Amino acid sequence: MQAILAQQNIALTNWLDQASEGLSYLLPEITLVITLVLLLLFDLIFKRNKQVGLTAIAIVGFTSAGILSFLQWSSETVSLFGGMLSLTNFSLLLKMTFSLGGLITLVIAWRGRDNIKSEFFKSGETLIMLSALLLGAFFMTMTMNLLLVYVSIEVVSIASYILTGLTGSRKRSEAGIKYLIFGAASSAIMLYGMSWLYGFTGTLQLDSVSFYSGLTAVPMLPLVIAMVLTLAGFLFKLGAFPLHIWSPDVYEAAPTPTVAMFSAVPKLAAVTIIFRLVQLTPPSFDWLPILSIVAIASMTVGNFSALWQKDAKRMLAYSSIAHAGFLLVGIIAQSETGNEAMLFYAVIYLLMNFAAFFLINQLEGITGSTKIDDFKGLGRKLPFVGVLILLVMISLTGLPPTAGFNAKLYLFSALWETYSAQESQWLLWLFIFGLFNTVVSLFYYLKIPFVLFFKELQCDTFETKALTTDYIIGTLLVLPLLLLFFRSDWFVDLMNTINFVF
Amino acid sequence: MAHLLSFIVFIPLVGGLLVLLTPKTYEYLYKVVTLSSLGLTLLLSLYLVAGFDTGLQEAINTEQQLQFSEKADWFSFSLGSLGEISVDYFLGVDGINVTMLVLAALVLFIGAIASWNIKKHQKGYFGLYLLLSTSVLGCFVALDFFLFYLFFEFMLLPMYFLIGIWGGPRKEYAAIKFFLYTLVGSIFILIVMIGLYNSVYDPLKTAEAANLSVLGMNSEEIIQAVQEQVSSGAIAKEDLVKSFNMLHMANEANYIPGSFLEQSGLATVFGQPARWIAFLALLIGFAIKLPSFPFHTWLPDAHVEAPTPISVVLAGILLKIGGYGIIRTAYAMFPDGAFHYAWLIGLVGIFSIIYGAMNALAQKDLKKLIAYSSVSHMGFVLLGLSAMTVEGVSGAMYQMFSHGLISAMLFLLVGVLYDRTHDRMIENYGGLASQLPKYTVFVTIAFFASLGLPGFSGFIAELTVFIGAFKSEAVNGAIPFWMPIVGTIGLILGAGYYLWTLQRMFMGKFWVKDKNWLPNLKDLELREYIMLVPLVVLTLLFGIFPSLLFDMINASVISFVDHISPLAK
Repeated sequence: MQAILAQQNIALTNWLDQASEGLSYLLPEITLVITLVLLLLFDLIFKRNKQVGLTAIAIVGFTSAGILSFLQWSSETVSLFGGMLSLTNFSLLLKMTFSLGGLITLVIAWRGRDNIKSEFFKSGETLIMLSALLLGAFFMTMTMNLLLVYVSIEVVSIASYILTGLTGSRKRSEAGIKYLIFGAASSAIMLYGMSWLYGFTGTLQLDSVSFYSGLTAVPMLPLVIAMVLTLAGFLFKLGAFPLHIWSPDVYEAAPTPTVAMFSAVPKLAAVTIIFRLVQLTPPSFDWLPILSIVAIASMTVGNFSALWQKDAKRMLAYSSIAHAGFLLVGIIAQSETGNEAMLFYAVIYLLMNFAAFFLINQLEGITGSTKIDDFKGLGRKLPFVGVLILLVMISLTGLPPTAGFNAKLYLFSALWETYSAQESQWLLWLFIFGLFNTVVSLFYYLKIPFVLFFKELQCDTFETKALTTDYIIGTLLVLPLLLLFFRSDWFVDLMNTINFVF
Repeated sequence: MAHLLSFIVFIPLVGGLLVLLTPKTYEYLYKVVTLSSLGLTLLLSLYLVAGFDTGLQEAINTEQQLQFSEKADWFSFSLGSLGEISVDYFLGVDGINVTMLVLAALVLFIGAIASWNIKKHQKGYFGLYLLLSTSVLGCFVALDFFLFYLFFEFMLLPMYFLIGIWGGPRKEYAAIKFFLYTLVGSIFILIVMIGLYNSVYDPLKTAEAANLSVLGMNSEEIIQAVQEQVSSGAIAKEDLVKSFNMLHMANEANYIPGSFLEQSGLATVFGQPARWIAFLALLIGFAIKLPSFPFHTWLPDAHVEAPTPISVVLAGILLKIGGYGIIRTAYAMFPDGAFHYAWLIGLVGIFSIIYGAMNALAQKDLKKLIAYSSVSHMGFVLLGLSAMTVEGVSGAMYQMFSHGLISAMLFLLVGVLYDRTHDRMIENYGGLASQLPKYTVFVTIAFFASLGLPGFSGFIAELTVFIGAFKSEAVNGAIPFWMPIVGTIGLILGAGYYLWTLQRMFMGKFWVKDKNWLPNLKDLELREYIMLVPLVVLTLLFGIFPSLLFDMINASVISFVDHISPLAK
């Protein structure tokens, strides 16, 4: 008895040692939690003029989370908390990008129209929820355990529900409820799928031996069912077909800065989870048909639906569905090249999407609406902003001379490599569909520059507030897209140091 | 002169930046900057032609045959398991593109003069025009596929805005139609580009990467050594440096053994050999730009809506990029596919000739008539190429050059009339000869040049194409004898629509639909002479002395045909 107790004691101390050791690796996450608490306290203590204080806390918090991630940079895989988390520079790069995304969100909100700004900073909750969303996304990039996958996805989801329905109008609450119901349903499906996986393997640990051998032993049909069910939750966060229906409503209703966040950070976090799941399932399970169907359908549905949209944010929502399909292409390629191309695409996607939302937000600040028709003629009045938007839209389409082209080129090169090795028809169709979707997407991406430049200005009197700062921020957001076209090797070289093994 | 090509390509870009930086108060400077930078480009390209060595006979897929070539590392990256991939800044001219470069410089310059009447948003117009100039010029001389693709795609943006903002009533529709059609074409090209750069390596860079001992060897010997070692498997696949070099892509010795698009490879797509499919994809991609039936429907819309100078540039040069692209990429890289599909290309060619001509017959709008005549004339390019004989290919290239001059002239002349009356309907005019005698002379010259009257460059071009096409069945069997015979119907139809138009608009008693046009209906002015006279002179010059052009392209065409013709191998 005593011996057993002692053994347990040793096990416990071991575990505690491990945990406390692991804590030092979680400094970025701890920083986010501290930020969250500070925001909460600040919100409680101060009553008036909270904008500056709240923003300052959030900026410091997000920046230090990013910097702390940067300081941990190493190409080794660190296993934390008994294998619950696995930290590689793949996760670190994404964490840094997410922190950057958080910061840009603040900038977008801060530079927005007065009512957006005051609404965004009315209470501390928005920023608190943003920090929570980041926290969840940070964990999503490194979890190795299905339970933790669920928990982190829920953290992101709950924060998103609240951010959508938090303030104001009926439309927003409606979108929030829609989002919530959809999310709850897909979470339930995902949990059900996970329970099957647990039943097959007796473990929740993705990288454990019994997970691998358990899945190898299971007959194909139940395994496919379990995997598809599990995928549901991930696809919901990714906003990919067939679980994309929530996104247009949410994007249209939620405030623009929040939407910018939604469109990039949770999506990329979901990609990492799918990526991990695909990597860690035994090769006997063929992901190709399932993911190809999802990818092709996402691109096609997203692009064709976007064609008819009249609202810029709604249009970008559908475009993000299409991009979700492209992100999956990198996973489908299942090669070193595919991994790097996916990560390249992910980071470029985040940059261009934030740039797009920043610029849309500026136009919204001028016209007070996100209807594309209301932007008529603004490009002639503000040629610089117009050109920036044009570049971002070209990049989203994937045409030179922007990094969007390189991202597509690398992605499809990876796909080509896999195709020429395997000659699978799925890959060929994915290749063809993916590239020709570019043509469809051009049609709606050009819509905004089209009304900006081709139409006459509707009203001559509109307020143009201090634009120089906006010009500088806009340029800073667009410049990387051009630079990474002309010297994409800078970024590709970084990709080569990324460790994709968990 | 070092970096001559770079100067030619980028002087317009610098001009464009100057235009953007010049404040609106100095609006008159925009035209000055545009004209002087394009004038400088034209002068430099003439200087280049003067220094062009016409006797250089080297294989078309080697770098030795290039003149004025410039090569610098742009960037190289190694992506995952793809290995090292290098992208170069690589420009050069040979007999295939030297005529196109000069034509582009000339037509762009004339287009700049034709832009004199643009009043709306001058800054944007001239900025975009110069941007377009750089990408067009770059497209003709870029020999790295990545760089070529950059110029090729980048051309679409300025064109989209130039048609969409300064165009006619349905400009928006025409602009987006142009953009979407051409983008579909570039996607086809992109697909093949991805396949090609994954299949082709750069021998010189591979020698460096694999640490071969190359002391005392010249580059040709190194290339040979590397190619031998690669084919014997002595150099590991990981050490191969993949390349976007378009000349390497045209040389089967540079294909990685076992790669997807290798000549002896057995890879298939949709049950067809991969190389044939790749050839078709490139062909379709550039045929959209050319445009040939059935991808031509964007052209009439774009032409009708575009302002005159943009029509001139569109017909004069942009279409030629399609023809040039087919020669430089599809034919040079996949000669086996070219031979296999020769009958298809020939058929599409004669169909375009006849279908374009018949459409032209039916048009009521003068500009649309000329647009369809372009479709018809570009059919000759395809017919000539499909023959795969020296005469056929030379004829195709002559036709591109000649059509560049003649179509520029035709669109300028339509512009002259449109400037005065803002109406282009053939039925609204009659007996213009009595009112506008000088204008009528020029129109008559242009029409006769275009329908292929001996003495004009169009005649030489079409004659050579037909000689080549007739020879084909006996020499290499690429296309059957009946194709050129059927093609000649196009000549008759061509004479038909031009002469009929001439009769309807210019002969008989003077009559115009609207009396308000009369005060504006003045004959040619000095600026218009400046644009038209050089074009007429050049058309005549190249009609009477065809050797001026043939001498320049001959050496390259012979080695090109050696390269593509299966019987020569």
